[in-house]
Amino acid sequence: MMKYLPLIWAALRRKPVRTTFTFLSVTVAFTLFGLMIGLGASMDLVEKKAHPDRVWTLPRFDQTSMPVTMARRIAKLPGVKDTSIMSYVQGYVGDPKNQSGLIMLDDAYGRIFSDWPPTPAQWDMVRHDRKAIIMSRKLATQFHKKVGDTFTLISETPRADGGKAWEFRIATIAEDAPELSGGYIIGNYDYYDKSLPLADQGKMNEVDLQVADPAQSAAIAQQIEKLFANSGNPVQSTPENVIAASNYGGADINAIARKIALAGLAMILFLTASVIAKSVRERLAEFATLKTLGFSDTGVTALVMAEAALPCLAGAVCGVIIAALLSQILPGILPPNFSVPMPTFSPSVLAWSLASACAVALASTALPILRLRRLDIAAALSGRI
Amino acid sequence: MMLRQIIAVTGIGLRSLPQRLWESLVIVVGTGCVVGVLLSMLSIIEGMHRAAARLGDPRNVIVVQRNIIFENSSAIPRSAASIIANAPGIAKAKDGSPISDAVLIAYVPTLLRKNGVKSNITLRSFGEKGAMLQQGFRLVAGRMFQPGKHELIAGAMANSQFTGLGLGDKVILPDGEWPIVGIFTTGGLLDGALVGDTGTLMPAIRHKSFNSVMVRLDSPAVFAAFRTALTTNPSLSVDVMLMPDWLAKGSAGFSAYFHAIVYGVAAILGLGALFGCFNSMYTAVESRGREIATLRALGYRGFPIALSVLLEGAVLSITGALIGAAVAWALYDGVMSGFGSDVFILAVTPPMVAIGLAWAIALAVLGGVLPSLQAARGAVTEALRAK
Repeated sequence: MMKYLPLIWAALRRKPVRTTFTFLSVTVAFTLFGLMIGLGASMDLVEKKAHPDRVWTLPRFDQTSMPVTMARRIAKLPGVKDTSIMSYVQGYVGDPKNQSGLIMLDDAYGRIFSDWPPTPAQWDMVRHDRKAIIMSRKLATQFHKKVGDTFTLISETPRADGGKAWEFRIATIAEDAPELSGGYIIGNYDYYDKSLPLADQGKMNEVDLQVADPAQSAAIAQQIEKLFANSGNPVQSTPENVIAASNYGGADINAIARKIALAGLAMILFLTASVIAKSVRERLAEFATLKTLGFSDTGVTALVMAEAALPCLAGAVCGVIIAALLSQILPGILPPNFSVPMPTFSPSVLAWSLASACAVALASTALPILRLRRLDIAAALSGRI
Repeated sequence: MMLRQIIAVTGIGLRSLPQRLWESLVIVVGTGCVVGVLLSMLSIIEGMHRAAARLGDPRNVIVVQRNIIFENSSAIPRSAASIIANAPGIAKAKDGSPISDAVLIAYVPTLLRKNGVKSNITLRSFGEKGAMLQQGFRLVAGRMFQPGKHELIAGAMANSQFTGLGLGDKVILPDGEWPIVGIFTTGGLLDGALVGDTGTLMPAIRHKSFNSVMVRLDSPAVFAAFRTALTTNPSLSVDVMLMPDWLAKGSAGFSAYFHAIVYGVAAILGLGALFGCFNSMYTAVESRGREIATLRALGYRGFPIALSVLLEGAVLSITGALIGAAVAWALYDGVMSGFGSDVFILAVTPPMVAIGLAWAIALAVLGGVLPSLQAARGAVTEALRAK
C-alpha cells in the first residue's frame, strides 16, 4: 500500500491545474448532489416523522368553522384516545403585505403533538397565560421580535369589542421544524374563543385526535367522515402520514431532486473520464515500466482507480460539507416566506455521496483500465504508441 | 486578413476535435446537463403562466374584497355584487344586461391519480354570464349543468389528474352527491377545475357572499373610470384589477421564489460545468501547443488564435445546450402536470431555448478566457521544442 501512495500523489501533481479543476468541478457537483439528496432526506423525514396514530379532521369544504360539539362526538368514538381542537386567525402584521396567522390551540394539543418543537414548559406558558403565544424562531427573526414583545395581528375575524387588532405577548420562542417549514405561532384557544362575538363562539377549524391503535387510524378517519357526511358540517378526516405524503401540492419533490442530482453526476462522470483517459494516454510508457518492474494488472488497475477516486472522494466530502454549511446559512439569507424545507444531513446522505463518487470513479476508469490490461509493453516502452 | 486567420485557425481546431473526443464531450455533456435541467424546471413556470394567461382577456376585470391576496379568502356580499354589475363601462349582452358574473370558489378534496395522494380540486361557479366571460369555453362531451339541479361540469384535464372526475362520476358536496354531466375545455387553468351553477352552489356550500365578481368592460380604455367608480363608492370595500394583472399578482410571490430555486440550482450546476469547461479548454490548448506555436511562428497573430479557441468552446457548448434543450423538450413539452389544485401543460418554448443558449455561451466564454489567453501568449520557441 505504501508504495502506491507516492505514485498516486505524483500522478495527481503532474498536472496541477487539471487536478485542481477536476476537484473543484466535483466539489460543486457534490454540493448540488448533497443539497438534493439532503432535500429528499428532509422530505422522507417529514413522512417518517408523521404519526400514523394521529388523525386530522377538517371541514370538507373551505376553511369554514364547525361547532366544538363535534369534537365531543368524535371523542366518544371507540378507539379514539384523545382529541384536541384548533382555530386559525389570519391577518397581517403592520402592512397588509405581511400576511401571517396564528393557530389557537387547546390544552390537549401539547399532549397529542408532544413531538412538535415546543417543550412541555413552553406549552404550559400558553396554557396559563391567555394572551401568551409561542413564536417559532424563523418568524421571530422575520418580525424582529423577542420574548416579552407585543405581537399585534390585524384580522378580519370579527371581535366582540368590534376591533380588528388581536394583541398577544410573545412568551417564548421555539425552534422550527421541517414539517412546519413556514414557521408557526401558537396561541390559546380559550382566549381566542372568548374574544369572538357571542354568536361566533364555540366553533373550531380543526379537530385533531389520537387513536389507540395506529392500524385503525384509516378506518376511524373514514368513520368520522361518515358520521358527519349528511350533517350540516361534512368533514375530511385524514391520518397524518397520508397528509405528510400530500405536502407541496403533490409535486414529487423527491423525484425532481433525484433527477437534478443525477444530472450533476453525469456531468462529472464525463469530466473524470476524460481527465483519467488523457492522463493514462500520456503516461503509457510509465505504466509499461511499472508492469515491467513486476506490478500486476491488479496493481496497475488499483493505481488508475485511486488516481480517479481521490479527487472524486475529496470533492464529494468537500461538496457535502459545503452543502451542509449552505443549508445552515441559507435560511438566514432567503426571504422569510420561502417555505422550502431545508436539506438535512444524515450519515446516509454522506454515504450516498461517497458511494456515488466511487461509482463515478469506477465507471470513468473502465476504458483506460481495459487499455492498460492489453498494453503492449515493448511498444509502449519504446514510445511507439 | 484577421477574419481569414480566425476562420483558418478555428477550422483547424474543429477538424482536430475527434482526436480530443473526451475533452469535447465534457463541454457538450456539461452544458447539456445545465441547460437540460434549467429548461426542464422552467417548463413548469412557463406551463403555469400559459394556463393563467388564457384567463386574461384584456377587457376582463375582477373585483375582490380590498387587501385580499387570494380569491378564496375574498368576500363580496350580494348587495355589493349588484352595485358592481350596475357600474358604468360594463359591456352589455345582446339582451342589454351587463356582462358581469358573481363567482364562488371552493376546494373539493380529491385524490391525485398518479400517486393516490390527497389533493384539492378547485370548484368555481358560473352564473348566467359565467361561460361568456371565459375565453374559448366550449363543451367537449355531455351537456351544460341545469341551474337549480345538483349537477356539475368538469374541465377536460381534471379527470386525468385527479380520480373520479369523468363524465357520469359523482362528486360529494355538502348537499349530497352531484353528478358530472359535461366536460368542457377553455385551454386555461379552468380545465383542471369543476364548475357548477352559482345559484345552486351557494346554499349548498353555505357561502353567504360571493368570492369575486368578474365583468367584461366595453373596452380596456374605460378601466380607470370603472375602477374609480367602484373604489370611491362608500358602500363598497373592493379592489378592482384587470384580469391579467390579478393573475400576475396572484402568482408573483410563487413565481419569484420558484425562479430563485430554478436559477439557484442551474447556477450551482453551471459552476461545476464551468470548471469542467475550463479544464477541457485548457487541456485542448495544451495538446494543440505545437500546432498553435507553429501557426504563430508562421505569423498568425495572438488575437485570432485566442478567438478561435473561444469559438471552439462556444461551438461545443452550444451543441450541448441544443442537446439539453432537445432532451428537456422531448421529456416535458406537452406533458400534463399539476401543482396544488392547478393543472397545466408543461411547455418548452423557443425563448426558453434562447435562455439556454445564452447560458451556454456565457459558460464557454467564462471557461475559455484564460486558456485562450494562454494560447495567444505562450512562448513560441519553447512550445515548438516541447515533446
